[in-house]
Amino acid sequence: MSSSADGKLKDILAKVLLIDESMISDEMSRKSVKEWDSMAHLMLVSEIESAFEVTMNDDDIMEIQTVADIRKTLKKLGITT
Amino acid sequence: MDSKEATPKRRELISSQLEKLLNLVRKEPTHLNYWNAHKRIQKLDLDSLNVPAEKRIRVALLSSFTIDPLGIYVDIESRLAQLHPEIYVAPFNQYQQEILDKNSRLYAFKPDVIILAVQADVLLNENFYSEFVKLSDVEQPQTEIINRLQAILSSLTSRTDALVLVNNFIVPSFTPFGILDNKTDSGFRKFFYELNERLAELYRKSSQVYVVDLEGVASKHGKARCLDPKLYYRGSFLFSESFLPVIADEYMGYIKALKNLTRKCIVLDLDNVLWGGIIGEDGIEGIELGNDSPGNAYKDFQRALLSYYNRGILLAINSKNNPEDAIKAINEHPHMLLREKHFAAIRINWQNKVQNMIELAKEINIGLDSMVFVDDNPREREQMKQSLPQVLVVDLPSSPFLYRHSLENLNDFNVLALTEEDKKRGEMYRARKKREELRESVSSLEDFLKSLEIKVVIKHADDLGLPRIVRMVNKTNQFNLTTRRYTDVEIGKMKEAEDKFGIYCLQVSDKLGDEGIVGVAIVRKEPKTWTLDSFLLSCRVIGRKVETAFLAKIVADAKEQGVSTLVGEYIPTQKNAPVKNFYSSHGFEELAQKGNLYRWKLDLTKHTVNMPEWMEVKNE
Repeated sequence: MSSSADGKLKDILAKVLLIDESMISDEMSRKSVKEWDSMAHLMLVSEIESAFEVTMNDDDIMEIQTVADIRKTLKKLGITT
Repeated sequence: MDSKEATPKRRELISSQLEKLLNLVRKEPTHLNYWNAHKRIQKLDLDSLNVPAEKRIRVALLSSFTIDPLGIYVDIESRLAQLHPEIYVAPFNQYQQEILDKNSRLYAFKPDVIILAVQADVLLNENFYSEFVKLSDVEQPQTEIINRLQAILSSLTSRTDALVLVNNFIVPSFTPFGILDNKTDSGFRKFFYELNERLAELYRKSSQVYVVDLEGVASKHGKARCLDPKLYYRGSFLFSESFLPVIADEYMGYIKALKNLTRKCIVLDLDNVLWGGIIGEDGIEGIELGNDSPGNAYKDFQRALLSYYNRGILLAINSKNNPEDAIKAINEHPHMLLREKHFAAIRINWQNKVQNMIELAKEINIGLDSMVFVDDNPREREQMKQSLPQVLVVDLPSSPFLYRHSLENLNDFNVLALTEEDKKRGEMYRARKKREELRESVSSLEDFLKSLEIKVVIKHADDLGLPRIVRMVNKTNQFNLTTRRYTDVEIGKMKEAEDKFGIYCLQVSDKLGDEGIVGVAIVRKEPKTWTLDSFLLSCRVIGRKVETAFLAKIVADAKEQGVSTLVGEYIPTQKNAPVKNFYSSHGFEELAQKGNLYRWKLDLTKHTVNMPEWMEVKNE
């Protein structure tokens, strides 16, 4: 697990969803985090895409529900967090 | 204790939390930080800050695309300009419904500024782009767009007095005609250029609707970088992350002008700012200024400053030098474009520049918050920032080649209407300096005033003078009896209602120069009583008795109309104490006070106010 990739992801999650980095867990989901609305979701995707220089598949973006899903999608694109 | 009532301690806490979040974007102005700061600020208990009305601003955004991110930038940029914004973003692509429904959330929000951003695409037929080449008549779709926009905007302006900012259209970089676009009668790009010209023409005279040059701003940024295709196709975002701060800054130009956050004076260092090198060491022959590099960059910088001077921005000098050396260079160097006469005030000495700045503001008689400081020395800049945070300190690039660009990028000199007075301001300040010299040479005040050969023109407001009148009503603090502020729309309505209101303006000139419009009075008319709702004078002409002439003219008009009583009103503020006795000193009798409203009356059947005899009065 690359700690710097993990750090980058956590920084984005923390800033977009207004949570403390230490509180971020893989189980956190669109349902459990109030700030994670559709606008925030697009913001997350766009920030993650530019930070990791990748383009996610639109279907995958729709299916992302949790932090673990984000990691899974990134892994498909060759990024291990 | 009532938990809702904000204690000073609580206010302080919230202010410091706000400041901390803003520091985040000051330090690292990334999109992520703007988002984060904006969202967190929304969660603060901002109501408890007790912000005065002049620092509040309500901005509504209406759009045919996803405009929420622009709301974030306008919010943060306003806060960085010391304003307290509230932002309303209308639901996606609901701009027409919001405008047409008088019970919509838009009107309930009571905006001060409305940003209407509509793409050409949504106003055009779906097949427009693909079928354009086949169109026989391109004027018709242009007219259709203009008509649609005009219809929307006229229903908007009939329901709100807010300032309306509507953008023009980005001229596409692509054209199906390729290199032949301007060889055909109806080129694709020409279609948009003409459309923009027609839109600008439509609102050229409007004081409520302003056409924002999105095309120009996009060109400056680079059209290829304005749109992020991923964000556009996935979420209908029209502005890319890199373009958002640029377009937000353009809108801020209008917002700052509306909130009177206009800078009026550029205070300049000399060595390595107006010329290269040090005059005290290199001498007049040694400094770099001329037609060769790098002297041409300094000359070009002066040219940009001169263009600001010619439209009414004042210039001043704040420099550590021997005054004789520096003034000689300014007046005698063959390539100096700025001469001594262009500077409203000059401080060339070995004193601390902060102290000089305070003195310059006092001499020119403007606030420190109207001043911009340009200095090549980072230490001087830092000291100025720390000691006088109101002063805008330009982060001057280290290379003189970039000076002009950095000056042109300042978006802080905007006013919503440019007046004749603006263009002449530099000369007026020069005349004032001479007037003060004359005052010192003449023994009595009366002799001095007589020697000035003052001429006043008092007339009813006309369309030409209206922008200046609105500006004075909203900016004058010292010689202002009631400090009532009115928008241009309100003033316009009063001007129409001639039987209920009289708007007078006072123009003053003397042998040293023309001051233009320097006084405004608004009279509320009833059959037997006129009330001076507003009476104000620019501080430039205080002490020349022109106020007496102004009042005398209104008294004479009232008498002529058969009015028997003239009532004067006074509302005290922190700044207008000097005029507290204005009415009593002109023979008015005091009436009962209502709250903080003081009233005086003059019985016109028995009393009058006389024109100062040495003054020449012209009626128009």
